[in-house]
Amino acid sequence: MTDATLSPGKAVAAVKRPTGASIGPRWTNALFIAPYMVFYLALLVYPLFKGIWMSMLESDMFDDTSKFTGLANYYRLFNDKIFIGTIWNTVLFVLMTVPVFVAIGLLLALALNRSDRTSASLRAIFFGTSVLSVTIVTIIWKMMYMPGNGAIASIMRLFGLEPIAFITSSSLALPAIAVTTIWWIIGLPMMLFLAALQQIPGELYEAAALDNASRWRSFWSITLPSIRRTMLVVVIYEIVAQFQLFGQAQLLTQGGPNNASRPIVLFIYEQGFRSWNLGYAAAASEVLFLIMAVAALAQFFASRKRVEG
Amino acid sequence: MRKLTTALLAGLVLTAGASAALAADKTEISVARFFGACEADYGSVTDVTKANGECGIITALINKFNAESTTTVVKPEIVEWPGYDQLTARIRSGEPPVISVMHEAVISDYSSRGLLEPLDEDFAKAGVDVNDMTDAARQGVTKDGKIYAMPFDTHTWLWHINMNLFKEAGLVDEAGKPILPKNTDELFAQAEQFKEKTGKPYFISTLANETAFYTRTFDTLLYQQNVDFFADPNKVDFSSPEAKGALQLLADIYSKDLTTKNQDYAASVSSFAAGDGGVFICGTWLIDTYDQESKKDGPLANGYAVTAFPQIYPGSPRVWADGHSWVLLKQDLSDAQRASAVEFMKFLWDNNFEWARTGHLPVRKSIIDSAEFKGLPHRDDIASLAVNGTALPSAVKRQFSIQEIEGEEVGSAMRGDKSVEEALTDAETRINELLANAK
Repeated sequence: MTDATLSPGKAVAAVKRPTGASIGPRWTNALFIAPYMVFYLALLVYPLFKGIWMSMLESDMFDDTSKFTGLANYYRLFNDKIFIGTIWNTVLFVLMTVPVFVAIGLLLALALNRSDRTSASLRAIFFGTSVLSVTIVTIIWKMMYMPGNGAIASIMRLFGLEPIAFITSSSLALPAIAVTTIWWIIGLPMMLFLAALQQIPGELYEAAALDNASRWRSFWSITLPSIRRTMLVVVIYEIVAQFQLFGQAQLLTQGGPNNASRPIVLFIYEQGFRSWNLGYAAAASEVLFLIMAVAALAQFFASRKRVEG
Repeated sequence: MRKLTTALLAGLVLTAGASAALAADKTEISVARFFGACEADYGSVTDVTKANGECGIITALINKFNAESTTTVVKPEIVEWPGYDQLTARIRSGEPPVISVMHEAVISDYSSRGLLEPLDEDFAKAGVDVNDMTDAARQGVTKDGKIYAMPFDTHTWLWHINMNLFKEAGLVDEAGKPILPKNTDELFAQAEQFKEKTGKPYFISTLANETAFYTRTFDTLLYQQNVDFFADPNKVDFSSPEAKGALQLLADIYSKDLTTKNQDYAASVSSFAAGDGGVFICGTWLIDTYDQESKKDGPLANGYAVTAFPQIYPGSPRVWADGHSWVLLKQDLSDAQRASAVEFMKFLWDNNFEWARTGHLPVRKSIIDSAEFKGLPHRDDIASLAVNGTALPSAVKRQFSIQEIEGEEVGSAMRGDKSVEEALTDAETRINELLANAK
């Protein structure tokens, strides 16, 4: 025993703290995350707050003098029939696509979760469309949809049917964009589900087989619970991604006819780059941000409850 | 043999080096333009007389300039029509092209913010006689008393006619001219007669994926009724009964199946050439293309005519018009770059006749009055357009955005997605909201 242990007051002053076993925070460790934080703050946090600030300005693309207008842009937005229409279109589009991404992505993953050559080729084919640019995708689908000489129209005429005007009909334009989008990027959810399926231990299925469990029972009681977290990732990722619909709508329909397929991002683009109303465009961006955050968080908490329950 | 190979190689290296040095001596300027891409057909054509159509002629003109200029190389940057979103983004990010093509309706939006260089002094130095500009062209490029662009053409809206189908429909007079409607009743009667006799719709229209047809046709119908819908440049007025009548006319044409439906621009252009309808309402720029088509075998063979938009209301023969021009974007240009830019503009001015072969009206009085221009096909048929072409007042801001909104709403009513009254009210509200917030 030393003096130090007998009189703790002195010990603190006299005994040096052994290196490598520090107690309490060491701020130098923050240096490890500093590079990431610099980019995070510069490219995400700063633009976020700058966007919020801009949304409260009457700001023109080429006019350096901006005027603070408080919530006037938001008031204008919610009295703008076109903007309200874009919210509805975007939500509808998310509802049309996200469940399909989950269902078809999972079905494809289940069907192609094998190690033979055919499955490998089909996996590559289904994922292959995801690498195409939005321009190529919309050109392909324009050639499919055009009622005059489009591929679908030609097939319909072969059967003596009248061609359907997919992208010029106000009721079919948005579903047509949804089909295009699903065809384009179904590969990613499929791959995510495939990765999850391959993590499930084979013993579980063997045990189920010994208990004479049907395939449906195995799917319901083993597969689905095992990939629940991946499903959550897919749903949240797709919600966030599909709320940002832009290229397909701009190139296929330009938001028409009659505003039937104009998504929020296209509205933001038009206000910013065509009408040069940066403040108004920024306000619409903040509304989109809020909707996306609420939708993704709601899904996250709902799924977490189920997983924990 | 080895010596010969060495000599040949040395020669090649010297030639390549000399060419590179020569090219390096020239000042390179970027020129952003639409009008399409056709390098496959015209990539190496320098004889402009051998080029046809907008794309062919502008490509050959630039090739010719690059071949002839000892000081300048033009690097074309082809953009999708109309290209203003891209131009705006490039200006905002500090990387605009040196020269850009621009509709005259748009110039004031950019010039009023100091984004364009005034060109009066450059033109005077280069020997461009601005007094030779037509009134329409000079008005189009002059903002606040200064010239901000080199005018390139005046273009308007007209009727391209398939005379072979008109003959079949009994709509050709004894002089061989098309019989055209003089009022709305005649329009429907002739269109029905055409449909009955040929089994095809009277009109071919670009109704999908762009709004130009709707705006330009609707504006023309308003001009014909002397409606001054922009009496106040800060406020549009579509509340007149004439506006309602004009939109109802378009809606009736659609609902009575007197037009093709769901065609985009490319489809409608080829549809007319394929003989799918009698009248294609479109612009001056297709005259040369269809004239060439009529010289080949096919549905248009020896059967193409073009006419100014027929006056179907008693007010006036005025018709929608605009003009293409070339602007010099404000940026930190060297003296050599500016001189090269003006050299290229002067070249386009000097070759304005070649561009007028597309079907557009030239911007030089001396060309309009020339026998060479008058000798071009169909020019007598559209001579009235030089007087009757009407643009929106230059004080109206954001004209392209306005045209987009107007076209969307007119299209909604024409296709029956909205009532005529609702569409006109919505168009008015949206445009006035835009103008109220435009600086």
